[in-house]
Amino acid sequence: MTDFYCSTKTVRRELSLEEKLHILADAAKYDVSCTSSGSSRRGKTGYLGNSVAAGICHSFSADGRCISLLKILYSNECIYDCRYCASRRSNDRPRATFTPDEICRLTMEFYRRNYIEGLFLSSGICKSPEYTMEQIYLTVLRLRRVYRFNGYIHVKAIPRAPKELLTMTGFLADRMSVNMELSAQENLEKLAPHKTFSSIFQPMKQIAGQIAASRLFLGKPARMERHHANRYLTGSIFDRPSLGDSLPGETPGDFSLQLAKEKAPFVPAGQSTQIIVGAAAESDYQLLQTSQNLYRRFDLKRVFYSAYIPVNEDPLLPPPDTQVPLLREHRLYQADWLLRFYGFQAEELLTPDRPNFNPLLDPKCDWALRHLERFPVEINQASFEELLRVPGIGTKSASRIVNARRFGSLDFSHLKKIGVVLKRAGYFITCGGSMMFSVPLEEKFLTRQLTMGEQKQNWEISHPQTCRQLSIFDIGGILP
Amino acid sequence: MNASLYDTTVFTCNDSLESMMTCIYEAYASRLGHRRIRLELEPVRQPELFCRYLSVETDEKKAFAVVRSIKEKISAKAWQTVFQTAMSWRPDRPDLIYRFLLLGFHHGPAVTDMMQYEAVSRIYDVSRSVYREAHLFREFIRFACTSQNILVSHIEPKSNILSLTAPHFCGRMPSENWIILDDNRKLAAIHPADQDFYLTHVTDRELALLRQTEKADACSALWKEFFHSVSIQQRYNPRCQRSLMPLRYRHHMTEYLK
Repeated sequence: MTDFYCSTKTVRRELSLEEKLHILADAAKYDVSCTSSGSSRRGKTGYLGNSVAAGICHSFSADGRCISLLKILYSNECIYDCRYCASRRSNDRPRATFTPDEICRLTMEFYRRNYIEGLFLSSGICKSPEYTMEQIYLTVLRLRRVYRFNGYIHVKAIPRAPKELLTMTGFLADRMSVNMELSAQENLEKLAPHKTFSSIFQPMKQIAGQIAASRLFLGKPARMERHHANRYLTGSIFDRPSLGDSLPGETPGDFSLQLAKEKAPFVPAGQSTQIIVGAAAESDYQLLQTSQNLYRRFDLKRVFYSAYIPVNEDPLLPPPDTQVPLLREHRLYQADWLLRFYGFQAEELLTPDRPNFNPLLDPKCDWALRHLERFPVEINQASFEELLRVPGIGTKSASRIVNARRFGSLDFSHLKKIGVVLKRAGYFITCGGSMMFSVPLEEKFLTRQLTMGEQKQNWEISHPQTCRQLSIFDIGGILP
Repeated sequence: MNASLYDTTVFTCNDSLESMMTCIYEAYASRLGHRRIRLELEPVRQPELFCRYLSVETDEKKAFAVVRSIKEKISAKAWQTVFQTAMSWRPDRPDLIYRFLLLGFHHGPAVTDMMQYEAVSRIYDVSRSVYREAHLFREFIRFACTSQNILVSHIEPKSNILSLTAPHFCGRMPSENWIILDDNRKLAAIHPADQDFYLTHVTDRELALLRQTEKADACSALWKEFFHSVSIQQRYNPRCQRSLMPLRYRHHMTEYLK
C-alpha cells in the first residue's frame, strides 16, 4: 500500500540540465528532419556561427541517422493526446521543460565545440499553442540577440498559434516546419483528435506566402531555388507552365511593412514537413502524391518520411510488434529524389492499380523496366534529360558525361571512371552503338538480372539489426 | 656523363607545395621529352637502374611562376584540383600533377572536363578524395575548451587538409581563439580572436605545454548524453553509422572519448 502511494504522489524535484537534456532529446528523436541545408550566411565579427548551403552533418547516431542540429523539445508536457506520439498526455513518462536560457547556453557551448550546426527547436503543446509558440519565439530571440548566435535555427510552427508570433519567429529562423504526420484527413481525425487538417495547412499556407513575398522583396524569384538539373528538364514538378505565376500560400496584409522594417530574409531555407509511413493504411501512391502536391502548392523545400515506430499500444494503431517499415521508407525517399532532381512525376512512378513500390527494385529501375521502348540510350548522343532517366546515372554523372563528350566519344571504361553504376546502367545504354552485354532487352530477363545483386542489400535495409553468421573471432568471447 | 645513357630522368623534390611546383618547373624546362621524365618525392624508396636522379632545389620564384601560369593559362578550377592533389598523402602526386598540367597547357580551361584522359580522371579522383576528407573533418573536428578559454582540437588526417579545413572555421568562429593540431605532421592552424589564422609547425615541447592546459571539458558529458539519447533503438544500424562516420575519424571525437 505504501509503495502505491509513493508512486502516485507527484513529487516535483528540480531536474538537472543533464536529466532535462536526456528527457527532451529522447522525446524529440522521432522527428526526422535534421538537415542544416538551404541557407548560406557568412560569419560576422562578434557573433558565433555561419551557415553553409549544403548543410553539414556533425555526427551519426547509432541508428545511422545524421546529427546536424541540437534536436530538442522545449517541453514535453503536452496537453494533446495524439495516439501515435510518445509524449501524449495519457502516457506516464518523465516530463520536463527547459528555460530559454538553458537552451541558449547549450546551443552556444555545443556550437563552439563543433558538435552541432545549430538548433532544432520543437515542443509539445505546453499549456496552450499560444503560450508554447511564445516561449519558442522568446528562446530564439534571446539566442539571436543576446547570445549573438548566427548559425542555423530550425523551429516548428505550432498549429493554431497566432499569425503574428509565427511571422516574428520567421524572421529569426532559417527553416520552419509544420508536421503533417498523416496524409489523409480521416486518419488525422482518428489518430490525432486535437489536430485538424485546416490547423496544419493554415500556418503552412501563411509561411509559404510570406517566404515568397520576402524573396520578391529581396529581388529573388518567388519560388525557392531547386537543384540546377531542373533547369534542363521539361515536365518536372517545379516546371513553370504547370504552376502558373501564382504565389504559393497567402500573405497577411501588413507583412510588407514588416519586411521593410526587419531587413532580414524570412525563413531563407524554406519550410519542410514530415509524414509518418505505415501508421495508417495509406498507399505509397497516396503518400507520394501528397508530397508532390506540397512541393507544388506550398513550395516546400523538403518532405520527410518517418517509418512508423510503435511506441504506444492502441487499438487504432498497428500492433506493438509490427516491424518498422524501413525499406518502404527508403523507397519513398528514392522516389522523392526522383521528383526533385530527375524530373519524374508521381504518376509516372506509381498508378492507382499499382499503388505500392516494388520491394525488390528501386523506383527508377522499376520505371525503366516498364518503359523498355525508350532504351537503349546512346551515351554519346542522348540529351541530358534522357541520360538522367537511365538507372545507374545520377545528376553528377549525367553532367560529367555531357561535359566530357564534347571532347571525344566515350566508352564503357570512361563511364566507369566518371562514376556511372554500370551494374545497373549497362543494360540500358550503348556506347558508340554497342551494348555492354549481349543480352536481350526483355523485361522478365532484365528484372531477374537486376534483382539478383540487390536482394542482399534490400534485406539489410529492412533488417538492420538481425544476427549474422558466427565468425571464428567471435567464439573467443563465448568459450570459457 | 652522357644523358643518353639513361632511359629516364627522375626529378625528386620534398613534400612541400613550393618544392613540388619548382620540380614541375624544372622538369618542364628540361626539354628531355615528357615520356623520359618522372617526378618523385624524396626519400626515393627504391632507386631504379638506368635512371638518373636529379634533386630539385626549392625556388619560390619558379614555384610562383608555375602557380601563376596554371591560374592564367588553364583556370582557377584547375589550380584548385592541383592544390588539393598536392595536399594528398599519395607518393605519386607530383607525377600526377605533372601529367595533368601537360594536358592542361595544351587544351586550356576545357581540360578539367576531359575525363577521357587517364591523367585527368586520375587526378580528379585524388583531388576529390582529399576534398572529401577535408569535408569530413569539417564535420568531425571536435574542440575542447582549455582552462584559458581556448578551443583546441586534435586530428590525424591522411592527407594534409589543414589549409583546406581551417578557413571554414575562420568564417564560423571569427571571434574565438582556436587551434587545430595535425598530430601526425606536427602542424597547427592557429586562430587568434578577430584575426586571420596562420599555419605553423609545433615542437614537442609546445605540444607538452598545451597538453597541461587541456582538462576535462564540462560540456562533453552533456554532449554524450545527447548523442546517446537521440538514437532510436528500433532502428539500430551500426553498419550505416560506420559507413557515414568511419572508425578512423573517431579517435578524437568527444562522443567516443573515454
